Amino acid sequence: MNHSAKHLYLKRLVTSVLRMVGKKSQTLFGVSLLSFIAASCATNAPQDTWQPKGPNAKLIDDLQQPVFAVAGVIGLIVAVAVIYSVLKYKDRGQPIPEQTHGKPALEITLTIIPALILAVVAVFTFGAIFKLAKTDDTEMIINVTGQQWWWEYDYPVQNEFGITQPIISSGQLVMPVGTKVLLRETSRDVIHSYWIPALNGKRDAVPGRIQTLRLEADKPGIFAGQCTEFCGLSHANMRMEAVALSKADFAKWVANQQAAYVAPEKDSLAQQGEAVFLNQCVRCHQVNGLMRADGTPAIAAPDENVWAGAAPNLTHLMSRNTFAGASFDLLSKQCRDEVWNASSDTIGAKYLAGVSQDCLNQKDLRSWLRNAPEMKPMYANPTQLEATGGKYRGMPYLALSEDDISKLVAYLLTLK
Amino acid sequence: MFSTGFKYFMGMTVLSVAALIMTLFVFDQVALAGVALSMLIVAVALLAGIAVVTRDGYRQSGVTEQSTDLVSQSIWPLVTGIGVVFLALGLVISSLVFFVGIVILLAALAEWMVQSWSERASKDANYNASARKRLLNPIEFPVLAALGLGIVIFSFSRIMLTVDKSVGAVLFIVAGALVLIAGTLFAIKPNMRRSLGAAVCVLGALGIVAGGVVSAVSGEREDLELAAAEGHFTHKECGPEESEYFDKLKEETLSLRSSVSATIIYQDGELIANLQGLDKPQKSITVSRSSATNIIFRNATEGEFRLVVDLGKPKTENDDSHNDVDCTQLVETGGEQSLTLNIAKSSSAENHYKLFIAGAEDKQIEVVVP
Repeated sequence: MNHSAKHLYLKRLVTSVLRMVGKKSQTLFGVSLLSFIAASCATNAPQDTWQPKGPNAKLIDDLQQPVFAVAGVIGLIVAVAVIYSVLKYKDRGQPIPEQTHGKPALEITLTIIPALILAVVAVFTFGAIFKLAKTDDTEMIINVTGQQWWWEYDYPVQNEFGITQPIISSGQLVMPVGTKVLLRETSRDVIHSYWIPALNGKRDAVPGRIQTLRLEADKPGIFAGQCTEFCGLSHANMRMEAVALSKADFAKWVANQQAAYVAPEKDSLAQQGEAVFLNQCVRCHQVNGLMRADGTPAIAAPDENVWAGAAPNLTHLMSRNTFAGASFDLLSKQCRDEVWNASSDTIGAKYLAGVSQDCLNQKDLRSWLRNAPEMKPMYANPTQLEATGGKYRGMPYLALSEDDISKLVAYLLTLK
Repeated sequence: MFSTGFKYFMGMTVLSVAALIMTLFVFDQVALAGVALSMLIVAVALLAGIAVVTRDGYRQSGVTEQSTDLVSQSIWPLVTGIGVVFLALGLVISSLVFFVGIVILLAALAEWMVQSWSERASKDANYNASARKRLLNPIEFPVLAALGLGIVIFSFSRIMLTVDKSVGAVLFIVAGALVLIAGTLFAIKPNMRRSLGAAVCVLGALGIVAGGVVSAVSGEREDLELAAAEGHFTHKECGPEESEYFDKLKEETLSLRSSVSATIIYQDGELIANLQGLDKPQKSITVSRSSATNIIFRNATEGEFRLVVDLGKPKTENDDSHNDVDCTQLVETGGEQSLTLNIAKSSSAENHYKLFIAGAEDKQIEVVVP
């Protein structure tokens, strides 16, 4: 068949398909296609899997681009063939065509071609899997623990990074750029899955198991992620962010995380907030260095109140930009945009500045303290806790007065 | 004209919408059910749309005339009724009965539906029967075989728990020999009647089930009852000496190789910790609080040693005379054992956690719970 004959044949085919589907269907198809294309042009897509920001994610991207292209072409051919067949041969009362069976040459060809394609894909896939599973070149380890519905990070002692005592944090994973970080993941309750698309693929966090995931960022920046294993009511609100800082900035962050607790000034609103915290919040939330009035350390007991046995450690809460499983911003929109849109040279300083009174997202933080379950579904209804032995999954409604909320906000602002 | 396929899927759509509305009224929390039903509605509505566009199932292929002579008696209405009774009882008695009711109901409805369809497949009763078999036998045979084997294996396990350990070994040998003999016979005489083979298998299975019933009634053998009463593994003795019960049945193999947080090695008189991802041996490990954390203890020193974890002050306020401990059994040179830590409280001056060798308390690894 020469070129013009092929062209003519294709034109007839398309014309006949369009005629068959009708004008309404054409319009519907056109609108769907345009919506699909428009959606793929979104610029604000922090969890875009097609924009790797580190060598591990780049490795996956280098694999998925050609595989996606091949799979896309095959998928398109199959879809067009199916749609064409469905429309062309739909039941119009015509006699059933003669049924034939067995075309060995065709069947063998159609078996060998996919097998070859899959074999080639498998070679590169296994290569990538083994590279992503390496742990012997690790430079830093961070323990990551998932629970309904937030992530906890603890940094074991690693003197080469200035970590002389364990650091514990939540919501935002802070790491140095150009460093091979190994996450050691586990879970306290159900299976979760850790995924920062810009830095690597997914890894399940399974109770009783330690699963490893390599992360490395090329440049300083903040990279969004999302739990990708359905884990209960607020699974969609179980988010995380990885913050990559230059090595110098990371050292500053480490120093700040290890700094001793500074009590609020005497007779200040924050000091009254500390009293409220000791009375209410310390049942679950630990602030390292916080002392009770009798001089004994205030040790949180989340194991007695929370189903997972843990609640976020708030020691340096205002050094983070998010709270409640990274569902809400501690920074106001303007300040958050300044950090997120900062260049890789300036993002470290902006992030390390933490949350100031001017930049605090008062609205969300106060709403959270006023009635947390209203902001994030958490099975926190006290009348429905039989299944968990009276323990909460998430933060309950605490019936705090507006006065107490103001005091608490003032106190929390001191936790930098 | 609406096609049969369209009617079917549209019916499912309407039922799903009704179920969603009922769910909204009946349950307080409809998150999961609501999402599931909504997705079902979208899926079946889409299929209904496709069915009406393509006129799928509009024309009845095959035979449309049915004869009531081909309809046979069916036990499935009766079984369905039993399933409904179980379902209703389960609502009152227990969730297990309710679950059994659901299984019976679904199985009976599937069988009933296929039987009803197959009896109208053609005018030929033999063809109809073969159509039913072709559809259901691949499901029925594995399920029935699994059920039968499950009963036989469970019965055999009851027998093994009742008889003496040495008798158990003999039983295993005899059972294996019988299987071997039966296999050899069938191989040598392939023309042997199938009914004879089936009879041997059925008799053997019945014998095991009967033995299992008798064993279950008579109870477990004495040493197992004693072990349960003594609590060998719940009341651990964590001293340096060999304990009477805890060390009686030492673990000699370790299946848990992956997914450990740290490997604790007692080597050259020193206790060190190897953590995945860190090259150098550590003198402390970090354990996430309230999270089951597995560690492996490897004894690379001459002699038998056990690893002990000091879990701080006991939870009961009345007893602060000693710390809570947990430990491995005595591990011989070159041996390994796993230990699972689950510590609820963060480390502090009051809650100080450590791993050490029983009898050599100075050989320590600090356990940090942030």
